[in-house]
Amino acid sequence: MRRRTVMTGLAAAGAGSVLAACGSPAPAAELPPGTREGGELIFATDREPTCLDPHNSGDMPQTYIARQYLDSLVSMRPDGSVVPWLAESWEISEDGLVYDFTLKQGVRFHDGEVLDADAVVANFEQIMDPDTQSSTALLYLSPYFVSAESLSEHVVRVTLKRPYSPLLTVLAQAFFGIESPAAMARGLTENCALPVGTGPFKVVEWRRNQEVILERNDDYTSAPADAQHQGPAYVRRLTWRFLKDNTARFGALRSGAVHAIFNLPPESVPTATADERITTQDFVHSCVPYALDLNTTHPALSDRRVRRALVHAADAPGMVHSAYAGVFPYEGNAISTGTPFYDETFHQPYPYDEQRANDLLDQAGWTGRDEDGYRTRDGQRLSLRLPYASDPGETPPADLTILQNFQAMQRRVGVEIRLLPVDAATLTAIRRDPTAFDIRAGYWNSPTAGVMYIKFSQETFEIDNGQNVSYAFDEELDQTLLDAAATTDPARQQELYSQAQQLLTDQAWHIPLYPIQTRLAIRSDLVEGIWIEPSEGEPVLHDAYLLRDGL
Amino acid sequence: MTTTPALAARRALTTLASAALLLWAVATIVFFLQHLVPGDPAQTILGGASANPPEETLEAVRAQYGFDQPLLVQYGNFLAGLVRGDLGESYTMKQPVTAIVGEQILPTLQLTAASLLIAWALAIGLTLLTAGRRGRLARLGASLEVVLAALPHFWLGVVLLVVVAVVLQWLPVVDDGPAGLILPALTLGIPLGGFLAQVTRDEFETALQKPFVLSALSRGASPAAVRWRQVLRHAALPGIALSGWGLGSLISGAVVVEVIFSRQGIGQILVAAVTAQDLPLVIGVTFVVAAVYVLANILSDLATVLVDPRLRHTIGHA
Repeated sequence: MRRRTVMTGLAAAGAGSVLAACGSPAPAAELPPGTREGGELIFATDREPTCLDPHNSGDMPQTYIARQYLDSLVSMRPDGSVVPWLAESWEISEDGLVYDFTLKQGVRFHDGEVLDADAVVANFEQIMDPDTQSSTALLYLSPYFVSAESLSEHVVRVTLKRPYSPLLTVLAQAFFGIESPAAMARGLTENCALPVGTGPFKVVEWRRNQEVILERNDDYTSAPADAQHQGPAYVRRLTWRFLKDNTARFGALRSGAVHAIFNLPPESVPTATADERITTQDFVHSCVPYALDLNTTHPALSDRRVRRALVHAADAPGMVHSAYAGVFPYEGNAISTGTPFYDETFHQPYPYDEQRANDLLDQAGWTGRDEDGYRTRDGQRLSLRLPYASDPGETPPADLTILQNFQAMQRRVGVEIRLLPVDAATLTAIRRDPTAFDIRAGYWNSPTAGVMYIKFSQETFEIDNGQNVSYAFDEELDQTLLDAAATTDPARQQELYSQAQQLLTDQAWHIPLYPIQTRLAIRSDLVEGIWIEPSEGEPVLHDAYLLRDGL
Repeated sequence: MTTTPALAARRALTTLASAALLLWAVATIVFFLQHLVPGDPAQTILGGASANPPEETLEAVRAQYGFDQPLLVQYGNFLAGLVRGDLGESYTMKQPVTAIVGEQILPTLQLTAASLLIAWALAIGLTLLTAGRRGRLARLGASLEVVLAALPHFWLGVVLLVVVAVVLQWLPVVDDGPAGLILPALTLGIPLGGFLAQVTRDEFETALQKPFVLSALSRGASPAAVRWRQVLRHAALPGIALSGWGLGSLISGAVVVEVIFSRQGIGQILVAAVTAQDLPLVIGVTFVVAAVYVLANILSDLATVLVDPRLRHTIGHA
């Protein structure tokens, strides 16, 4: 659930209509007409990473900026396929256990080091080293990874414990960006502040709490195969600003102080849509949607009938619609539409049906009623605790509305939901303590349908680090997902992943609500060529150029 | 004016010692309070409630920061660091705390200084114009002060941002130069100005009844000159004493304002550090705020002496 993200096919990048209008001065007035070359692009985002090296920790803001200075081995397309990037080609052994990557030649890191097989091996080693304190990249690899070794100057062999067909899409994320071994050897403190990659921009300075300054890498030769152009970026300089406040961020865009913003606030969507100078790009992450996870160690929730009753009673589409006013769609499946192998059959498996909910609860033995009208069994009230982060940055007002809607809907069928606002530290403690909560809200972004295995498997149940929020697993589901990871045949994968979606729907371990979305808002009268890549929804600025006369 | 060097040195020493004691107490309280907060700081360092670090990673973090040691040992190490002037390294930002605070304190001080200036300009302006006047003007001034003093920072900040910067575009939404200081400083300064004006007005109206006003007027001084030269001097005293407290409140207000206007500053840092249980950083910032309080109170004492000549004797002989 860290904010890992990915989105769906966002293809149509900015339909950039160049509009005159607006009083703000053309930012590119002093730039030579007729070329895309030059200028400074200012991009504003909400959250500041704690470390610019995405191998450390593993939070979404790290990938968004890392995409600008790190290249990965492969790049992911919206249809889930991958294309060459730093790896020119690759071969996968019959049994799916050995991957040989052949690297592009002549690529250098910003510090002059050569990109070779040893450098890539050093990156895998850094990710696997506990001292790197990776909480995302490591999790993707650790269940599968055996070793990385260099076979020759430009060939790297990665060996796995068991087949893992999503490996290539996983490696496309900026979490797996390739860094200079010499830079990594400086240690975490320095590498966090000034990581060194092979990407289109170089990190020059990180002014904490304010911005990261990046400069164009004039020697850039390693753009991914799906880039809109090869060679160095168009803009000379990139300023990556942190504007946490929603009003300020959107205001900066409208006034032209920045060219594009990440995370257009939902409340500003209507204004942005009405403004001809602004275009938006939406990206549905490949993910387990934002969902209410039901803790099956609770005696009531261990009964599938009760879990299903909660879904029937919730009117989940109505909850989402009332909170997000149609800006976010409803999703009732275990994975989002942006996830490869999504099966639409399970979009809304348990429609709103109060009668059905009541019947199921009666069958489960919750037939008594107490003085407040709540259901009881053996004198115990059916009461469920739902702790949530009280910080509005973590639980935005619309999410709180969703939780309150849920509480009100369950009240109608006699189920008490106790909403418990808690501080971040308490919530962190609750994560690992199944006795401290009954329901929790969260999501998990990941570029593959294998994310179902991360959230709902015996293996993650046994790691006991709070990933398996429902504290539940099913042997058939585990086997289905392992089989899916072991095959590279797309038809077979579709079949297995559909089956997994079916099994998860049957279990009703969670109540999915809406897919995670990323929204870019772009001043299309000032800048052109920004697109979103699909592995984590990272904005790509290598192809961006400032508009001016003659373009 | 007759302060002897020995006396002055003793006063200075006492002040320093009590400041040191205060800072030690602040550090100790913050240290233990932070450890009362539930949750695992290692988990927090690795991304908080939304991350899923594996156990080995957590253990690497615990070992690196010494969370696996007994609390008293951690406290001892922490005090030893303080004595050396080493506030430690921020867990989340992976930089020395002194470097972070050093970098972020200047924008906050600029902001609070500008806000204090605005607050005083507003308070003096309102008082001179409306205090002690008859009829509507005085009532208008008094009501205006109440309204201004009641404005919450987060509301005023957003309104100024939207109206002045986004809609009218008179000022930049974000700007690192002096233009970017205007709106944040107004946001902080206006409510404090209203508050100071209330205090100043009361005192001003009391002073207007004093005999020296009548005698000054009878000597032929113009009413405006009397208000400005003599009455205001009396009226400003409680306000000045309150400014020391006001400076502290401005720093807490800066927490909100720095976020709204995306300014650098220790307010933003403090919020992030508390949420992330970044103990060294919380203590570092708390320290600086405590030090600013101490300094501000010394300064407001000095300012009082400056404005009220009578105090120069009594303090000198104290």
